Amino acid sequence: MLKLLKYEFIRKYKLITMTLVSALVLNLYLLTKGIAVSSSFLLFFPLILAVLYVSDVIRMYSDDLNKKSGYMLFMTPNSGYKIIMSKLAAAVIEGIGMLFIYFVFILVNGAFIIYQTRSFVDINEVMNDINTLLSGNIGINLGHVFVFLFAVLVFVIGFIVTVYTAMTIRKSIFSEIKFGGFLSFIIFLGLNWALTYASGEFYSLVSPHYNSFVNVTTVSASELLVIMFPVIAVSIIQSIILTLCSGFLLEKKINL
Amino acid sequence: MNENEILKIENLTKKYYNKTALEDVSMSVERGKIYGLLGPNGSGKTTLMKVIAQLHKQTSGQVLINGSPLSYESKSSISYMPTENFLYDSFKVKHAVKFYADMYKDFREDYAMKVLEEIKVDPEFRISKLSSGLNGKLKVALALSRNTDLYMLDEPLNGVDVLSRDTIMELIARSYDETKTFIISTHLVSEIEKILDSVIFLKDGRVELLGDAEELRLSKGTSIEGLYKEVYKNA
Repeated sequence: MLKLLKYEFIRKYKLITMTLVSALVLNLYLLTKGIAVSSSFLLFFPLILAVLYVSDVIRMYSDDLNKKSGYMLFMTPNSGYKIIMSKLAAAVIEGIGMLFIYFVFILVNGAFIIYQTRSFVDINEVMNDINTLLSGNIGINLGHVFVFLFAVLVFVIGFIVTVYTAMTIRKSIFSEIKFGGFLSFIIFLGLNWALTYASGEFYSLVSPHYNSFVNVTTVSASELLVIMFPVIAVSIIQSIILTLCSGFLLEKKINL
Repeated sequence: MNENEILKIENLTKKYYNKTALEDVSMSVERGKIYGLLGPNGSGKTTLMKVIAQLHKQTSGQVLINGSPLSYESKSSISYMPTENFLYDSFKVKHAVKFYADMYKDFREDYAMKVLEEIKVDPEFRISKLSSGLNGKLKVALALSRNTDLYMLDEPLNGVDVLSRDTIMELIARSYDETKTFIISTHLVSEIEKILDSVIFLKDGRVELLGDAEELRLSKGTSIEGLYKEVYKNA
């Protein structure tokens, strides 16, 4: 699987490098325009990254299923499970990489702003300042942010697996059926509805155990993780089931 | 399935929407022979190869490789060269060679590099920049650099100039030995006739004629190309 992963990144290293360099240049330029402009960039940058990320990971799988270059991958003696897992692993690594880059940008910009006001930079002080800013203004700390980001990562993976499953169904059991693409889209909507429903039901089932949090004004990061556990758990179970389904279809039913 | 058979196809049918690409195809392919899979465009040659290579799933019927049903493991025994430009555009030639070396245990990287040098394909070339002739030669070189049981080359001479065709024919002839089986699809029969042991004529998704090339020449009193023209004159 590591070999498959390696070639996923060889295929897209140019795109990643170009995105990074463009973002870096833009960030440096905006830093020269003042703190307000730079802060706006940091606010909108994750949205741009998210759109780029989702479109790239969908394209990564869609190209292999719909273009002739997909033969190169599907001719290799790798099981369908290995292929879908490598795609997901590439998507997760890319997602974590983008989050990491965003944090680097926050740190760099924070350090730059502090340097402008005090002429020296202490990284611990930067972290403390960010923490103070968050807890002072919004009542959260970096721990909350990490729990939230972890939950987002799990949801994003769940979403990607759902999209991948719909595409796999289109190219396998619906490949010889007219309007297969439309049917796959309906399946995608159906899957999403079913999973949202399951998630809601699961939450209702376990919510009585969360009464202790109801009247608490501040929730710690670990408590937040416990509160979000039902939706995270459903998302993880969903990802595992759909990955296994996709792997099976890729191995037994694929029609490229 | 006897020991000499490397590939056995039983009642294979492949349908797309309302079109039948292959209908009830049955045949055996013997080890150590070069087969010509012949027929005009749309006769089912590419579909048959793609089903064997597991890029397409048959609608019904069975395919056995070395006595076992198709599975992802059986892809190790098949070196398939699709007719399309399937190599990743963003790769350089050297990346494609490394990809094959990483994915196929039987790939001979040194041999591949030697062949590339011989056919004048620079490993530093980007695949998207290759001419159709160079791309054709690269695809053949990669497929033949594997050391496996069954080689399937789909239209290896398509879109390739006359000189490159000679090079490709020479590479195929050089790669052949008694342990290897080749299935070569083409509609350029005259170019390939001299190396064929057996021929399979496909017409509208069905096997029209199958047999030993020399026996057919003698019994029909004509070359394989002549026979081809006869079989498909109304196609």
